[in-house]
Amino acid sequence: MTALFALAPLVLLLVGGLLIMLVDAFAKERVEVSALVSTLLGASFVVAAGSLLADPNPSGLPAEITRYLAVDATGYFTDVVLTVAALIATLAAGSYLREHELERPEIYLLLLLSTFGAMVLARAADLIVLFIGLETMSLAVYGMIAMRRNNARSIEAATKYFLLGSFAAAIFLFGAALLYGATGGTSIAAIRDAIRGGHAEPALVMLGLVFTLAGFAFKVAAAPFHGWAPDAYEGAMIPVTGFMSVVVKAAAFASLLRVFTGVFGDPLLMHPTTGWPTLVAALALLSMLVGNLGALGQKNIKRILAFSGIAHAGYVLVGFASLHAVPEDATAAILYYFLAYAGGTGLALASLVAFGSKGLEAVDVDDLVGLGKRHPLLALPMAIAMLSLLGIPPTAGFFAKLFLFQAAAQAGGIFAWLALAGVALSVVSGFYYLRIVVALYASEPAEGAVVARPMRSGYVLLAMVFGSALVVKLGVMPGLYLDLALEAGRGLFH
Amino acid sequence: MFSAYLPLFLMVAVAIVVALVLWSAATFLGPKNPTPEKLTPYESGADSTGTQGVRPSVKFYVAAILFVIFDVEAVFLYPWASVFRELGWLGLAEMLTFLVVLGVTLAYAWKKGALEWVK
Repeated sequence: MTALFALAPLVLLLVGGLLIMLVDAFAKERVEVSALVSTLLGASFVVAAGSLLADPNPSGLPAEITRYLAVDATGYFTDVVLTVAALIATLAAGSYLREHELERPEIYLLLLLSTFGAMVLARAADLIVLFIGLETMSLAVYGMIAMRRNNARSIEAATKYFLLGSFAAAIFLFGAALLYGATGGTSIAAIRDAIRGGHAEPALVMLGLVFTLAGFAFKVAAAPFHGWAPDAYEGAMIPVTGFMSVVVKAAAFASLLRVFTGVFGDPLLMHPTTGWPTLVAALALLSMLVGNLGALGQKNIKRILAFSGIAHAGYVLVGFASLHAVPEDATAAILYYFLAYAGGTGLALASLVAFGSKGLEAVDVDDLVGLGKRHPLLALPMAIAMLSLLGIPPTAGFFAKLFLFQAAAQAGGIFAWLALAGVALSVVSGFYYLRIVVALYASEPAEGAVVARPMRSGYVLLAMVFGSALVVKLGVMPGLYLDLALEAGRGLFH
Repeated sequence: MFSAYLPLFLMVAVAIVVALVLWSAATFLGPKNPTPEKLTPYESGADSTGTQGVRPSVKFYVAAILFVIFDVEAVFLYPWASVFRELGWLGLAEMLTFLVVLGVTLAYAWKKGALEWVK
């Protein structure tokens, strides 16, 4: 029973999701599924946040649960990130689908169950549970992308993502099988003990970890596993893009964090001489380069955010590369970054939903021209989101990047250079983030040009207020949240 | 480590060699006398008609997915049934949870019309 309460954020989503399915199927009248799902996600968020503040490391749970699902502060922290991101996406979907006459209750249910899968993935302490969470999350996302059945781009995006995603899942599974073969256990603790005790064949462990890393790198769209991201993000509906770019990425990163800190256990096994930090650093550098340089030539805002997502995956990987030197600081920085990125990207895509209406959807940067002059207040959240993604104080993104690069600088050596490259490429990213702000506030549409017309809908406004509050609050008083992230990260090292 | 698997590798090698020998022997030694009749695709003796590019109804997909779900259910139920005394109440509760989840999805699929071939 205590275990059910301790896992309340997950149990709420699963039980609530099943009930909403029944209500949707059997109700005599049309049900407002978007409202039900956002309420449920909000409840899950409150419970997760409450657990994080009140009792982040419950004790006395049966081993049958904790062997498979970690119940710790890190888990509650990732629950908070994932429910926040899913909530913003649901609210945005509530407006978007109705405005564009695409309303279907299935999409909210898929979103809810996908979030549940993401939370399982982020908490998984066993490779099999991890895989089940990964697939629960991914399969629902494929369905959500393909939901616009008669749109060729959406089908193309779904097919590409599905095929490549299945390959990535197979590669991950192959890695997991190798790890099992080398160590004789599927739980992360068992794998760690076998490696520490020297019972495992080093070559097999190495191969297994490389394959699992490749699987994760695909899910977070880190270069060179990023090829699917721009097309998939562009083809999906805006709220779905928001969901994919935040929930999927954050859950996969959280799981990678658990596997890496768990399997390697003590920082000695992650020492640069083993080659791991260098490998991760190479992935990080490549992602930052590809993301930031790729976004420069894009006009479509979803594609810009896809490349920006690749770049941000690179920044987070900088934190992963410095785990060996400053494990606790780097973990806290990574967790904090999730929250900042979720707020920034979620807010940007919610704003994009709000800027468009039927037939006049905001797609390219040119569609936003002059919007800030006509609707100064409505355009503000987009500007805040861009500044946060760029990393300008006082927004969440500034402190998120500061903590990450600080950790890398403390690690020294090539990691300090990596941090420097990150800062330099952040400056480059100013070009495409600020171009959107300039389009909003500092330019006028050409005579007779077709511009996006904002919709009138309450859901998305709620998402924008919530997202803006999060981004600004994280930027104004980062201390509180960093302390929470530090507390959450500590649980991973024992 | 590799020496332990040597017989396995040998067997794989022998299998490849045997297959190659039989296949090339048939290709090179067999008599060839093709007629138009022989070159048509064989379809249970009847003349083949139409193209092969027929789009199957998407309903087959839904039926197949539902079949897989309940097939997997059976796969889980059998091992559970054989040891359910040892698993006790915990095992019963877990299996009931699983069945309830499946039951809800079945009810959903049913009500949404996934089981009706013609709507």
